Amino acid sequence: MRDRNIFLIVLAFVVIGPFVQPKVIITEMLIFGIVAVANNIMIGYTGMLSFGQAMFFGIGAYVAGLLLKAGMPLIVALPVGTLFVLVLSIAVGYFCVQRTGLYFICITFAFNQMFYFIAYSWTGLTGGEDGLPGIPRPSLLLDPVAFYVFVAVVFLACLVAMKRIVDSPLGLICQTIRENPSRAAAVGYNVKLYKLTAFTIASTFTGLAGTVYAMLYGIVPIDQIHWLKSGDFIFMTLLGGTGNFFGPIMGAVGYIWMSETFSLYWARWPLIMGIVFVVVVLYLRGGIVELIGKVYGSIQRAREAP
Amino acid sequence: MSFLILSQILNGFATGMLYALVGVGLTLVLGVLNLPNFAHGTLFAFGAYFTYTVANLTDSFYLGVLIGPLLVVLIGFVIESQGVRRLYAAHHDYQLLFLFAIALILQETVILIWGPVGFSLLPPKFLAGAVDLGFTVYPKYRLALILFTATIVVALYLMLTRTNVGAILRAGIENREMVKVLGININKVFLFTFGLGAYLAGLAGGLATPIWGLTPTMGFDILPISFVIVVVAGLGSILGAIAAGILIGLAQSLTTIWWPEAANVVIYLIMGLTIILRPQGLFGSR
Amino acid sequence: MISRLSEKLRSLRTMGLSMAGAAALATVMFLPTQSAAEEEVVILGIWPITGPYADMGPLLDRGVEIALEEVGYKVAGKKIKYITRDSETKAGTAARRAQGAIDSEGVKFIIGPWSSGVALAVTEVAKKNKVMYYFSGGTEDITGKRCHKYAFMWAANAWTAMDANLKIFKKFNPDAKSIYLFVVDYAFGWTLQKYVEKLAPKYGLKIAGVDRHPLGHREYSSFITKAMATKPDAVYMINFGLDAISAVRQLYNFGFTPKKPVILSWSAGVEELVQMDPAMRANLQFGTNYYYTVDTPGNKSFVDAYKKKSGGIPPGYAPGAGYGLMKMTLLGMQKANSTDPKKVIQALEGLKGKNFVGDFAINGRNHQTVRPYFVARTKPEDKMANKYDFATIQDISSTEQPRDLNQCQDIGGF
Repeated sequence: MRDRNIFLIVLAFVVIGPFVQPKVIITEMLIFGIVAVANNIMIGYTGMLSFGQAMFFGIGAYVAGLLLKAGMPLIVALPVGTLFVLVLSIAVGYFCVQRTGLYFICITFAFNQMFYFIAYSWTGLTGGEDGLPGIPRPSLLLDPVAFYVFVAVVFLACLVAMKRIVDSPLGLICQTIRENPSRAAAVGYNVKLYKLTAFTIASTFTGLAGTVYAMLYGIVPIDQIHWLKSGDFIFMTLLGGTGNFFGPIMGAVGYIWMSETFSLYWARWPLIMGIVFVVVVLYLRGGIVELIGKVYGSIQRAREAP
Repeated sequence: MSFLILSQILNGFATGMLYALVGVGLTLVLGVLNLPNFAHGTLFAFGAYFTYTVANLTDSFYLGVLIGPLLVVLIGFVIESQGVRRLYAAHHDYQLLFLFAIALILQETVILIWGPVGFSLLPPKFLAGAVDLGFTVYPKYRLALILFTATIVVALYLMLTRTNVGAILRAGIENREMVKVLGININKVFLFTFGLGAYLAGLAGGLATPIWGLTPTMGFDILPISFVIVVVAGLGSILGAIAAGILIGLAQSLTTIWWPEAANVVIYLIMGLTIILRPQGLFGSR
Repeated sequence: MISRLSEKLRSLRTMGLSMAGAAALATVMFLPTQSAAEEEVVILGIWPITGPYADMGPLLDRGVEIALEEVGYKVAGKKIKYITRDSETKAGTAARRAQGAIDSEGVKFIIGPWSSGVALAVTEVAKKNKVMYYFSGGTEDITGKRCHKYAFMWAANAWTAMDANLKIFKKFNPDAKSIYLFVVDYAFGWTLQKYVEKLAPKYGLKIAGVDRHPLGHREYSSFITKAMATKPDAVYMINFGLDAISAVRQLYNFGFTPKKPVILSWSAGVEELVQMDPAMRANLQFGTNYYYTVDTPGNKSFVDAYKKKSGGIPPGYAPGAGYGLMKMTLLGMQKANSTDPKKVIQALEGLKGKNFVGDFAINGRNHQTVRPYFVARTKPEDKMANKYDFATIQDISSTEQPRDLNQCQDIGGF
């Protein structure tokens, strides 16, 4: 399916969404949609599975939250928060890209744990376990509809930006690195540098999503920087499908929708989530995108059959 | 102060041996199957719960510890043959995530079977109570645990170095392809290894019940620690897993003297430093 | 040209199908927004059904149901619609669920959850949406730093609790001189520690040492060794749930109990005791917001109704909290003869009365419910009348937090 068509579907969803679901749910779907697509720049395009993206999401939220509380306007708080995450991700990423595979997973996890510990202990700054409260929204965005429009605009802008990046030569090189790192190196690419770039880009957009999240409830809770959140991000990305740029959006939507719906009906609903995940990993590795493709394909075939 | 340090060393050693047991199982599976078993923690939990149930049914802690882990092996066999085996050809990440999902499912299954409320299990009468060692009073059970885990570790080491099965496992860790070429049924080897890993996890879980009790989330609680041990040890190194387990246990207990709040995070610092400075682990060769 | 036209048509058709697909998907996800029916009041209970406190959720809910059954799901001329959501003990997720329920179900009153960290997020949602919020838990910020007109607290204030524990411990152990503190390392623990350090000298108790441990910690051997080296007359624990149970278990392993007592200063009572073996529970003093043997009007019927639902297990603090929260919310509605949150809040401010925990009074300035805190002592196994006869209440105390220590400067308006 052509990218432009998929983009139109996404656009339709953004417009129709708030009419069929509570605004807060769709808002979260968009915010985490940014994270999932950004995460895919690492997983799907470059072949790096990070178990620590929550640290960037959380740090973005904390920094923006603190700036907003200090009275900074939105136009300062969000960019500064994002910039902070960008610089931090270069430093953290430098160490992480030295290793691959299981080691990469473990070191991103270790960094996540360390930042979680800092957030937890530095209660003067972050509020610790109690979270960072009292984050104001600019008066323009106090209305839930206005805030939603703002989030939608940020979401679409991030999509466009990230699409540009992955369609550029950088994106192609990352995919080459995923396919065969030694060949890429043999051809002359500085593999670690490209991995660091992908890491930084992905983490920066994740941090940006975090800065927006800070205004959603007016509080930054500590669970947004916990390693289980990093696991959620991975789940969203894989659920949607790592082979397609837009796939992870559906993953974020699907994950939040399942979590909201299943929790209404059964106390042991995480078991169902686990089963869904097992099915995806065993049979539907392309995620929701693959599922849609299969359904679409069988409809196509049914129509063409004499 | 020196009494305090001595007793903390003993503490660290005791918990370290338990960590080592958990780590050894994980490191075997990682070494032979090249599989990071994210479900290792829940196998630990099932070991604890099976031990609890058998111990209550038979009124014998010893029988619980004997039979409980064997039941966990069955679960391990099912996971390997029905699930993991299909993913050997798939990308590393998918194996990992499959096991993570299995861990989620198993954790909820624990709640379905035993309920969400935690339990306690007392050590056997013979090992109950504490003994005065001079520099500190220490629970008999923890001392027994050190001896017992040491015995298991020695038995494991002997198995790996002195038996044919052990030789095949060590060969599998070194070079999986070669083992296949030599005509050995690699599927059986994988199944056996996964089962052995499950057994060790379950055994650790059962042995831990008198100190840590039982709760449905105990699997996810121990999972990060087990990976820290494996990374610090070096992939596939059994001796390394034991040394790393003890090191982690000591790090936690000694940190408690000066910075108790950091008792948990110090192990991630160690893991991070190991990955950066000596990625093959303290004892690994790859 | 015709081929290009047909190509354009085909791509238009694809787009059309795509939009239809999107609309179909949206319809599948459709969650109709219901505003509450005219004769209905919607109350949300947000409880931990999954996650670290999954065992508490069902118990809290059970307590709520008993309170609702007592009034036949009706109050102030309206039907009560009680809905629940899973907090997962994740503050961000709970905030989303609370907000979502307010948007889609017309929730006007929220009770729960269990964890203080989550409550601090839910209270922000309540404030923003102007719905009344009643919480029972440890953090004093609900009626302190983060107080607002819509939030109330049911559990006794931290000061009240620590005062009760120390006062009653010294009363029953007059020769005791020193205590060693285990403190869970986060804001709530530090607050309780601060209060203990202020109050202990008043009761002639010295603090032999303090150790802070991470929340969720399971391995206490190092802390116990340090504590025992100072030879205290008791170990005073400022922690709860599995942390407390693990520490108690290991204190027993090390032989500290039953020779010397352990004080669980902020305990859930039955819920924690039930997870311990009888030998482990010997010589424990615990402070709790509710213990089921209290002799007050209304308690017996609550306990009997609860035992029917629980298969014989008596209620501990968790069901007591669920029951208490709903009772107080209903009481406000009855007194105001209205289900308008503003009227209910005004009716509750300054309200005094007596219910299943004893005498209560709601402080109008910070919305703290001043009520008794129970201190009980576990019984030896041979003195237990049945397997749930864990303890005897030694005494109760409801000393209110001193005004100068309360950080609610201005509760604000509606």
